[in-house]
Amino acid sequence: MSEDLRRSTPTQDQQPGGRRAVPEPLVEVRNLDVDFRTGGGSVHAVRGANLTIYPGQSVAIVGESGSGKSTTAHAIIGLLPGSGRVTGGSITFGGRELVGLRRRELERLRGSEIGLVPQDPMSNLNPVWRIGFQVKEALTANHLDVTREQRQRLEDGLVAESSPRDDDELFLGSASKPALLTDIRGALEDSGVSGTSLDEQMKRWDETLDVGSVTRSEVRRRLLAAKISGAEQIALGHVTGSTVNDRVAGLLTEAGLPDSARRARQYPHEFSGGMRQRALIAIGLAGRPKLLIADEITSALDVTVQRRILDHLEGLTRQLGTTVLLITHDLGLAAERAEHLVVMYKGRVVESGPALDILQHPEHPYTKRLVASAPSLVSQRIQSTKHAAVRTGTPASGVGAPGVGAAQGTAELADHRPLIEVSHLTRRFDIRGSKEPLLAVDDVSFEVRRGTTLALVGESGSGKSTVANMVLRLLEPTKGSILFDGRDALALRKAELLHFRRRVQPVFQNPYGSLDPQYSIYRALVEPMRIHHVGNRASREKRARELLDMVQLPASTLRRYPNELSGGQRQRIAIARALALDPEVIVCDEAVSALDVLVQSQILTLLNDLQAEFGLTYLFITHDLAVVRQIADEVVVMQHGRIVEHSSTDEVFAHPQQAYTRELIEAIPGGSLHIGGAGAPTEPSGTAS
Amino acid sequence: MGRYIGRRVLQAIPVLLGSTLLIYALVFALPGDPVTAMFGDRPVNPVVANQIRAEYNLDKPFIVQYLLFLKGVFTLNFGNTFSGQPVVNIIATAFPVTIRLAIMAFIIEAVFGILIGTISGLRRGSWFDSVSLVLSLALIAVPTFVFGFVLQFLLGVKLHWLPPTAGASPTFQSLLLPALVLASVSLAYVIRLTRTSVSSNLSADHVRTARAKGLTERRVIGVHVLRNSLIPVVTFLGGDLGALMGGAVVTERIFNVNGIGNALYQAILRGEGTTVVSIVTLLVLIFIISNLVVDLLYAVLDPRIRYV
Amino acid sequence: MSEPSMSPTVLPGQERYVDTAHEEIAAIDSVDDSAPPTSMWRDAWQSLRKNPLFIVSAVLIVLILVVALFPDLFTHEDPKYCVLTNAQTGPGPGHWFGFDQQGCDVFARVIHGARASVTVGVVTTLIVMLLGGVIGAFAGFYGGWLDAVLARITDIFFAVPLVLGAIVLLNTFKTSETVWKVILALALFGWTQQARITRGAVLEARNSEFITASTALGASGRYNLLRHALPNALAPIIVNATVSLGTFIVAEATLSYLGIGLPPSIVSWGGDISSAQVLLRVRPQVLFFPAGALAVTVLSFILLGDAVREALDPTSRKR
Repeated sequence: MSEDLRRSTPTQDQQPGGRRAVPEPLVEVRNLDVDFRTGGGSVHAVRGANLTIYPGQSVAIVGESGSGKSTTAHAIIGLLPGSGRVTGGSITFGGRELVGLRRRELERLRGSEIGLVPQDPMSNLNPVWRIGFQVKEALTANHLDVTREQRQRLEDGLVAESSPRDDDELFLGSASKPALLTDIRGALEDSGVSGTSLDEQMKRWDETLDVGSVTRSEVRRRLLAAKISGAEQIALGHVTGSTVNDRVAGLLTEAGLPDSARRARQYPHEFSGGMRQRALIAIGLAGRPKLLIADEITSALDVTVQRRILDHLEGLTRQLGTTVLLITHDLGLAAERAEHLVVMYKGRVVESGPALDILQHPEHPYTKRLVASAPSLVSQRIQSTKHAAVRTGTPASGVGAPGVGAAQGTAELADHRPLIEVSHLTRRFDIRGSKEPLLAVDDVSFEVRRGTTLALVGESGSGKSTVANMVLRLLEPTKGSILFDGRDALALRKAELLHFRRRVQPVFQNPYGSLDPQYSIYRALVEPMRIHHVGNRASREKRARELLDMVQLPASTLRRYPNELSGGQRQRIAIARALALDPEVIVCDEAVSALDVLVQSQILTLLNDLQAEFGLTYLFITHDLAVVRQIADEVVVMQHGRIVEHSSTDEVFAHPQQAYTRELIEAIPGGSLHIGGAGAPTEPSGTAS
Repeated sequence: MGRYIGRRVLQAIPVLLGSTLLIYALVFALPGDPVTAMFGDRPVNPVVANQIRAEYNLDKPFIVQYLLFLKGVFTLNFGNTFSGQPVVNIIATAFPVTIRLAIMAFIIEAVFGILIGTISGLRRGSWFDSVSLVLSLALIAVPTFVFGFVLQFLLGVKLHWLPPTAGASPTFQSLLLPALVLASVSLAYVIRLTRTSVSSNLSADHVRTARAKGLTERRVIGVHVLRNSLIPVVTFLGGDLGALMGGAVVTERIFNVNGIGNALYQAILRGEGTTVVSIVTLLVLIFIISNLVVDLLYAVLDPRIRYV
Repeated sequence: MSEPSMSPTVLPGQERYVDTAHEEIAAIDSVDDSAPPTSMWRDAWQSLRKNPLFIVSAVLIVLILVVALFPDLFTHEDPKYCVLTNAQTGPGPGHWFGFDQQGCDVFARVIHGARASVTVGVVTTLIVMLLGGVIGAFAGFYGGWLDAVLARITDIFFAVPLVLGAIVLLNTFKTSETVWKVILALALFGWTQQARITRGAVLEARNSEFITASTALGASGRYNLLRHALPNALAPIIVNATVSLGTFIVAEATLSYLGIGLPPSIVSWGGDISSAQVLLRVRPQVLFFPAGALAVTVLSFILLGDAVREALDPTSRKR
């Protein structure tokens, strides 16, 4: 903690909007260039990036994968992976140049000045150490593990400087908490509180006075506020400092982990994704850094968990006065959480400025595109862009005019009778080492009507994918029935099952896993025809070209291999493969979840067009309600294997009946934003390739 | 954890029975009469042959023979050699020597393997890495016995640094050279394994998190990189203790160490099926047990395993 | 933060900025047509071609194979024509490596010894790939009780170390005079590693989404195993086979050294090294040549395996 850093930290009244002198920026990135050396030369990951962050602010870098947003963040904390090097420009932190800093100095800076909460909670905790140990390390590394007296002595020895936060560093210890509570109880009893009222108040005190988290001044303030007699003495007498383990528990409590003292003794694999992310937040904030870099911290989590964690982080960083740099692909999330936005595209900053300003008046074509397609900001079902295209006469998908005409006909003729009828579907899984079987799907009934889209929404563990697999006949139900086109789909014999598979096709979530890496695109596309002995060599190849055309990919793609294509392109291939045999139903299991926003919107538009053209029926499995609004006619919300709500999409969004559904809707990032005047973007976004 | 241990132990039992049965069958159930073979070029004396058959239970059905043999193994009654000496006596004198040899070799491969492998993994592409890579490849490519001859000749005969042979009552010094040779191949594997493990762990996400906390590089390497890298290495080392005892056949012959390997070799030369099968069974038992220990060690080292 | 202040006083450095110099943006998710299409194998081949380790080891292996197949191209001496008067004579014209203690031409014996080592290595590896491959593939793909049974059988054979098991088996077939007993012994106790690797690789492929997708397309289990799982498991199988080929050659030499491997009637490096042992003190080159040839052969296969492993490593591939 060097002196110049401390001096540059402004006080609260120098916040943006204040009328005082212009504050010093905390972080200034100027013309930053970052290169990665590869076998064949170097890749320019970041080019001439500029970024300014003021103390206490919350700034977001928005961009899709490969835009250089994470690289920029890693350059700031000096943790570029592998062959990454800063090749130009400067990064200053509190006026101090960081580029070219020696390793030792960087180590001193990390944790205590700049903290990082990394992206993937699954891989970012060391699996062999207990959570508590890993949090404790963050304290020891920044010399926050010693008691106040020791630190005082250290400080006296170094510089005779008294920090204004000194008192704040005295935390409540687990050893003195019982005595503190006893004194509070005594004081309450003296003031005439008794019976259930006393018990309730004591319970609240017990719950809110977190060991290792509340400080002496905080306790004093709260006791005074509660008009407890002798508050001063009680706080002074019992808040006398905590052990490191108390502090670890306190940090975990602050990050929103209940029962933290016990949790600290567990290993990462005993934690859920959300809990791990909370532990990582505790680690990131342990050294009380001035700047916290939060790198896509919630993209791997369920929406409701995502919202809770972001809310929590926001409250915590505001309370601590921490400056936050958010890295995200989600424009809605960024606009909601940050006051200043930096949009990056292919290593460059293409637009930056006040968050709402950018959202309302995007100027760069890329930003416009982002705003137009951000699922969280689009509030309506993609209205048959196909029809619009037909009206204006633009060949949107390259399909010839007769095909389009016929499609319109079928769309109008769609009788909307149930094509899939699922009733009382139940699936149990036996868990090893547990007597209680897991009821993954519990008495689920719904109908999917021909030519429409039914979205099955739920968070991880809701059983939605299990339902999809049963409808696809990849998994046997324990109980219940599935009728397909009026026939019992569960009683199909071998040949009939083969025919069923021809009519019901899947598109899976992982675009990197659902295509065999050893198959060329041509082989992948003709495989369904080969399995079902449809056509000959020439007609199969012709069909493969048609299919590519339908998903708007050039014919040259036929000779390529999956690893040469992007995630979105692979997903389009997977859709083309599903279409190969002219199916009636496509089951999309999280088909767009792994994709960048723009690509996601492109695929959704494509799916929508295909539905209009061929009268397809979709069963759409997703965790993302924002996507549902764009594609579905009906919504089934699932939680813990059961259906909690089932109605039309408009109805669900306008009048959600269940608390859980409301929570899901509220969790959509950017949902609370109102873009003045702009309304729902009308610009069709799928005009690519 | 308890369930895990229980399952591992239970799984080891069929393996134990199966592999001893396999060895026993290879020696006694294959075409060709071991008793006839015993006589070599001499004419077979039917009376003596039948006596021998009775003594080694060869006149009984195969499975009974095996069960009797198994009973012998557990009561430490391995039968007698053709010269009438109890096999258990041979094992009792030879075994301690081999254990000493194997432990010395084990220490050599563990200490030097991990040390060299770690430095190589941390400094990929440096001259140290290149040299250790070439060295480990050479150790794998050159057969142990050639390496043994050369070391024996250079260090033992030419330079007189170490005794070239061990002899009847081997000292620590005289076992040093054989231990080095015995360790050589495994040493190379430990180097390669540690190197890969360390360098892949260096780029792990959680190591970046550790750096982001502000930990010093020394602590990042020691607490996060090395601790995790050692899991596969320790697993290999544990399983190798059993393999080392098997590898002693070659090394003990080169340096004339009177251990279990040499006893096995002598038994092969004399065609003593009983002795061969007893010693190999013993070595296999040690191998299985050391692998069982590795499984348990693995659970200690990697908390993720304990709850599987 | 949830209600960002829209105050007109924007701080320096945070004014509205739009990049106008680089307006052009690519169409969303357009296909990169700049590079020619490459399959995984072609990709691997491209990187192998540039790897000096691969070139050196491949050239050596081709050379060794040619020597093993056509030894007469390299020497006209008969390796079994030994004249005791020549014993321990040094190198001379036509006899570059000199003679051994039996008076045999060392160069001729090194050349002719290649066949035995290479035969044992290659044939054992092929058997092991087949045996271990089939067992591993079935265990990995079908799982369940079949996997449990096959896993225990693999464990049983794994519990007997390679050389020890071979010793026991060869001890029984002491009188046989062929290469095949050595191959059989090594294959019988050497397949477990291959089975384990194949099992793991097939299991990984089996759990991948493309197999589920293929099932949903109507493909049968057998189709998935043969057309998807096995081709995708091939890379680790090949790498392990290449490396273990070297191990088998070393094991054969070790068995020959113990006197229970190849019979003396077959010219082999292992046998020659064993007999050269006594000459080490006087004429080390008699040991050096067969040992060197053996080491170079084994090294070539290990290096080849390493190079192939690196080339096929999925993490080193693009995207």
